[in-house]
Amino acid sequence: MILTSMSTVGITALVPPELIFACGHMPLDVNNHVPSSAEHPVSKLCAWTATWREMLLQKRLQVDSLVVVAGGDCHNALADGQRVALGGIPAHFFFYPFDGDTDYMEAQMQRLVLHLGGEVDKAKFREVGLAKELGMRLEQMRIEGRISGADAFRILISFSDLCGDIPAFMEQLVPEKRHEEAKFRVGLIGVPPIYKDFHEVAESFGMHIAYDELPYEFLRLGGNSMAELAKSYAGYTFARSLGYRLDFLERELARRRVDGVIHYTQFACHHLLEDDVLRRRLDYPVLTVQGDMPGSTPEQVKLRLEAFSEMLGRAP
Amino acid sequence: MIGLDVGSTTAKAAYPEGKFRIVESRNWRELTDGIAPCDIVSTGYFRKSVPHKLAITEITAAAFGAREYFPDAEVIVDIGGQDTKVIDLRNNTFLLNDKCSAGTGAFLEFTAKYLGIQVSELGDLHMRAKKAAQLNSTCGVFAISEMISRMVEGASVEDVVAGMHYSFARRVAKLIPEADRIVLIGGTVKNRGLTAALEEVAGKRFLIPPAPQTVNALGALRYSEERP
Ligand code: SF4
Repeated sequence: MILTSMSTVGITALVPPELIFACGHMPLDVNNHVPSSAEHPVSKLCAWTATWREMLLQKRLQVDSLVVVAGGDCHNALADGQRVALGGIPAHFFFYPFDGDTDYMEAQMQRLVLHLGGEVDKAKFREVGLAKELGMRLEQMRIEGRISGADAFRILISFSDLCGDIPAFMEQLVPEKRHEEAKFRVGLIGVPPIYKDFHEVAESFGMHIAYDELPYEFLRLGGNSMAELAKSYAGYTFARSLGYRLDFLERELARRRVDGVIHYTQFACHHLLEDDVLRRRLDYPVLTVQGDMPGSTPEQVKLRLEAFSEMLGRAP
Repeated sequence: MIGLDVGSTTAKAAYPEGKFRIVESRNWRELTDGIAPCDIVSTGYFRKSVPHKLAITEITAAAFGAREYFPDAEVIVDIGGQDTKVIDLRNNTFLLNDKCSAGTGAFLEFTAKYLGIQVSELGDLHMRAKKAAQLNSTCGVFAISEMISRMVEGASVEDVVAGMHYSFARRVAKLIPEADRIVLIGGTVKNRGLTAALEEVAGKRFLIPPAPQTVNALGALRYSEERP
């Protein structure tokens, strides 16, 4: 199916929002609706994909089409995306190259553009680019500890779809408050926590989250032409080899001068298999937490965060 | 100042003069009679629900408590009522198993109840076993049905208890990193059948403090002394 008039295009995390805006549509990252959802999917592996699947099938989240990030990222999304498609919502499957091949990336982008109607308004690339430049300045403020990790995360996570409206989104790019001095700086790696208050909870235990690995990708990647976009998005670390991602991670963690790392993993997610490798390679104290259903951070996760903060306090 | 550890089944207190007391969790108030909240450092699952000047997690309390008995300890394994914690003091990391009851004190209670015996009898029964029954399940619920099968086949209660301890030990041993000086703490550690099985499965001897269930209360007290 080819979209013609202006439509709401659901995306499962990182689909270049530049392309969706440029084709005259509004992106809507379905994941952003998961943490505060009260859905209890009957058939589930990962609660991220199962929750958006149910929200879409039950029409609690309205989209005209769904673009599923399948290749190079997540097979649960591939399966649940097909269930959404079988439920009658037009779906398009978007694949990242594992080897960073920019020709492959550009071909995938061209296919997506066709699905979105084929007409590209390149001025939108620049508009999104300007928003991302502003986002980068805010990210720098979080690195310097001038805005809280919770605030930075709220902004970063919205860069996947820019809330479907670039000018309105830019007006919202105002951090709420300068945060109090935290005792420790930590990097949060892995997929984003499914809990809506995770950053606030970490802060309550004296930890400033100075890095959000996946959401930072939303901000970092972009470009002003199809070729530039293809080159940039082909470097999406989550779709690349673990070695590539680790090299990138090490640089970011060093640049942000973190005292420790929290590796968030999700029940039934293949990224959990990477935990041992990350722990062995990263030269920081690492806390691994695992989440399952959306909602507030549960007590057993709070205990781990509190104990990790105490441990950082004991580190030599 | 006292260290107060209120866990899921028992509450423990460590007093400055070197005394300890243990009561059931619901009776924790008996331990703090006449003591002001500003003189209590709490730990354990209910650390924030009881009066305290300072509340610290069981993980930090264990690190401070174990050091009292074994200053060069490398790893602490705390087998509690609801979870098992493995703390690696060498690199300041820890692991918690609280999803599955099969490697926690709750599983031993469940088994004892099923067999109609006291948890405190499990250790002696283990020592009288002739041949530990083979139990393969990694899940506590399936382990119970396996125990029933072994008894139907004629295994004695002693052999089934020993088999249960070995299957418990295999699960806990998987969580323990390679180290020489490993300290075992938690009320469950009083069960000599379980510690024997754990030592056999892990192929090493563990360090066990004289009162393993009060180590965290003592750790809370020591923490307050070091960081007043
Ligand atoms: S958490 Fe893992 S399984 Fe779930 S959507 Fe993300 S990548 Fe896929």
